[in-house]
Amino acid sequence: MSLFSVLSVSASGMSAQRTRAEALVENLANAETTRTPDGGPYRRKDVVFITEPTGSPFSAVFQVEMNAGVTGVGVAEVLEDTREPEKRYLPGHPDADAEGYVGFPRVHPAEEMVDLMGASRGYHANVAAMTAIKDMIHRSLDLLR
Amino acid sequence: MVAPRLHHPTGVLNPIVTSLERYMDLLSTRQKLVASNIANADTPGYKTRDLDFQFEYMSLLEGGAPRPVEVLGLTSKNDGNNVSLDREARLLAENALRFGVASQLLRGEIRAVRSAIQEGRNG
Repeated sequence: MSLFSVLSVSASGMSAQRTRAEALVENLANAETTRTPDGGPYRRKDVVFITEPTGSPFSAVFQVEMNAGVTGVGVAEVLEDTREPEKRYLPGHPDADAEGYVGFPRVHPAEEMVDLMGASRGYHANVAAMTAIKDMIHRSLDLLR
Repeated sequence: MVAPRLHHPTGVLNPIVTSLERYMDLLSTRQKLVASNIANADTPGYKTRDLDFQFEYMSLLEGGAPRPVEVLGLTSKNDGNNVSLDREARLLAENALRFGVASQLLRGEIRAVRSAIQEGRNG
């Protein structure tokens, strides 16, 4: 595994963190959405990460067999909130039920914002790792000059 | 058992070059593990991995591939992940600096040989 292939490890981290940020932004945007194509209010999404070998299938399997310990990260699944929607009493609302309650998604903007900061920090950390490795590659190439 | 690699002839280059080469090899392996740890900083159940640097350096001189081990003594979060971004950031910077020093030394060695060749041609 050369230094170049480590760039793909950092890239996998960046892509995973971006997926997480996308889900969080979607949650924030839909914090008050009461109507979805599937019916009912919007359900907040959570991204779960899993370690994932990077590179071509053969070399990836080989690395895992060799226990080289260098793994990227990927998105295992996107979980939807299964909790009951939050009921608010709004009798005049078009989506109100017979008793006048409207189901709202259980999205707390503060939680989403804190998580978003985590995703952004993770993204930055991956960018820093990539920069450091690029620097090492440059230094190796400088030996040829 | 991997055959010892130390005793191959170094040719025109100083034997220190071989040590520098091993050192840089090991640093880049370590940097890979750091990058992998950073990428998995939010993966549930992921454990920080690293090399026992001193040990690996000595054993590399005798031949053999470095073996990453799980790092002990780090606090785990609720999801079983024990990556400390501060630790990884420190190692990232440290490895890059060490690699820079080693490559500078190696350049010096190569420059010495090159100038010897050049001077010989001119004279």
